[in-house]
Amino acid sequence: MAEPVIEAKGLGVKFAMNRRRKRSLREMFIHGTKRDPNTGTDFWPLRDISFEVAKGECVGIVGKNGTGKSTLLKLIAGVLIPDEGEVAVCGKVAPLLELRAGFNDQLTGRENVNLVGSLHGMSQQLIDERFEQIVDFAEIDQKFIDTPVRHYSSGMKVRLGFALISQLEHPIMLVDEVLAVGDKSFKRKCYDAIDKMLQNQRTMVLVSHSETDLKRFCGRGLYIKNGALALDSDIESSLAAYNEDTKAEIEARKKKKKTDGDGDEKAA
Amino acid sequence: MASRALAVWQNRKVVGLLVRRDLKVKYQQSILGYAWSMLEPLAMAGVYFFVFGLIFNTNRGVPGGDEAPGGYLLFLISGLLPWLWFSAGFSEAPRALITHSKLITTMKVPREIFPFSVVATKFVDYLFTWPVLLVFVFFLGGRTTLEGVFLWLPLAIVVQFAFTLGVTLLLASINVLVRDVERIVRILNRVLFYASAIIIPSTLVLESDTFPEWFKTLYALNPLLGIFKMHHAVWFPADAPDAFILSATIGGAILMLIIGYTTFRRLETSVLKEL
Repeated sequence: MAEPVIEAKGLGVKFAMNRRRKRSLREMFIHGTKRDPNTGTDFWPLRDISFEVAKGECVGIVGKNGTGKSTLLKLIAGVLIPDEGEVAVCGKVAPLLELRAGFNDQLTGRENVNLVGSLHGMSQQLIDERFEQIVDFAEIDQKFIDTPVRHYSSGMKVRLGFALISQLEHPIMLVDEVLAVGDKSFKRKCYDAIDKMLQNQRTMVLVSHSETDLKRFCGRGLYIKNGALALDSDIESSLAAYNEDTKAEIEARKKKKKTDGDGDEKAA
Repeated sequence: MASRALAVWQNRKVVGLLVRRDLKVKYQQSILGYAWSMLEPLAMAGVYFFVFGLIFNTNRGVPGGDEAPGGYLLFLISGLLPWLWFSAGFSEAPRALITHSKLITTMKVPREIFPFSVVATKFVDYLFTWPVLLVFVFFLGGRTTLEGVFLWLPLAIVVQFAFTLGVTLLLASINVLVRDVERIVRILNRVLFYASAIIIPSTLVLESDTFPEWFKTLYALNPLLGIFKMHHAVWFPADAPDAFILSATIGGAILMLIIGYTTFRRLETSVLKEL
C-alpha cells in the first residue's frame, strides 16, 4: 500500500453534557467552582477510531445519523481538536463541509470568490485565471456576479461555493453530504468534476447517505456505529453491514410497537 | 507559542483580507463612508468639550498649564482618537470568534487570526482618523517634540496593540462559552473611559487631595492610563508617564497578552466544539 496521507490513531472526541454548555454567570455564582448538581456525564460521539487512507483512495463513511460521521470529517479537516489520539494529515485539505462557508452576505459574488479563494490558499493570479471558469461552472449570470450575495438564491450560493472549492488543487478532499444539493444537471456536473479530481490521484473522504454516490466513487467504506469504527472494508460490505443493522433495527422497532400495542389493548 | 506566532505570520495575507473585508463591509452601505470615521470622534469631542472644557473648566489640569499649545481641545482629541481604537476593539472582542463561526468550523487556519484581525481593523480605522488630528494640531497650534514622535507615539501604539490583542484573545474565547462577557464589556468600556485619563488629565486625580493613596496607586496601575498618557505626551511633553506608570503599563500589557493567549489556547478545544 502506498504511504498514507491521512493517518488517524485512536481518535476520540468528548462533549460535556449539561456542563459548561450555556452556563451563565448566575449559575457560576450559585454553584461556585464546584460542579453543579445536574452535571452530566461525558459523551463520546467518537472514540478509538484508527485508520489510514492512502494517496488516491476514495473512502466513503457510512452510518446512521448522529454517529459522528461529520465530526470525523471535521477532525480530519483540523477544525476540531481531538481529546484523545491524533490525526496526521499530509498535504493541504480542501473541505467541502459547508459550501456557503465564508461567504459574506454584504459582499458581491466576485469579492466573495476572491476572499474565500484566498482564504483557502489560492493565489490572486490563480483566482483571476480561473474566475471565468468558476462563474461558468456555477451557472451564475454575468450580471449577478457583481451583486451582493445576500440577493442570491440559496442554490446560487451553493453552486458558487462548490465551483470555487472544486477549483482548489489541494491533494485531499473532504466531502460532507454536499452532493445532495443542486438540480439534476448541476449534480451531473459535480459528478464529472469529482471524477476528474479522482483521476488526478487526489484523495477523497466522502460522507453520504446516497448509496449510488458512495458506490460510484468509493473503493473503500468505513462503517461507523455508535461512535466506533465497526467495519473497515470495501464499500459494498460496509454498506451491506449498515443495511443489515438498519433492517434489524426496523424489525426491532416493529416488534416493540407490536408488544406496546398489545400491552395497551390489555390495559384497555 | 513561537510556532503559533509563525503560523499567524504565514497567514498574514488572510489577516489582510479579513481587515480589508471588514472595512469594505463597513463603508459599503453608507453614503458618507469614510467620513463616518471622522464624524464620530468629532461629535464626541464636541460634546466632551462642551461639558468638561466649558462647563467644568477642566482646562486647569492640562499638562503644561494653561499656556500649553493646543489647550484642552487638543488634549481631548489626541486622547479620544486612540481611545476609539481600543474601545471599538474591546466591544467587538467578545464576538470576534462567534461572527466567524462558519469560517472557523470549515477551514483550517490558526484561530488566533480572527481576534488579531479585529484589533488590526480597528487600528486601520484609527490611522484613518489621523487627518482629523492633524487638522486640529494645525489650527490649535499644537507642537510636538522629537521625543514625542520617535519615542512616545510608537511606544504607545505598540503597547496599545499588545494590550488590546491580549484583551481580545481573552474575551473572544471566553465569550463563546459564557455569553455574559458581552454585557460586562459594555459596562467596563464606560468605566475604563473615565479611569484612563482620556478626557480628564491624570493630574486631577494623581495630585488631588480628595483621593486616598491606595486609590491613586490603583489608578496608576491601570495599563491604559500609561498608554493614553503616552498618546498625550506626543503633544504635551509634560504628560509623559513617570517610571512607575510606564513599567505598570508595559508590564500590564505583556501580562495581558500572556493571559489572553494562554486562555485562548486552553479554551480552544472547547471553543471549537461550541461554535
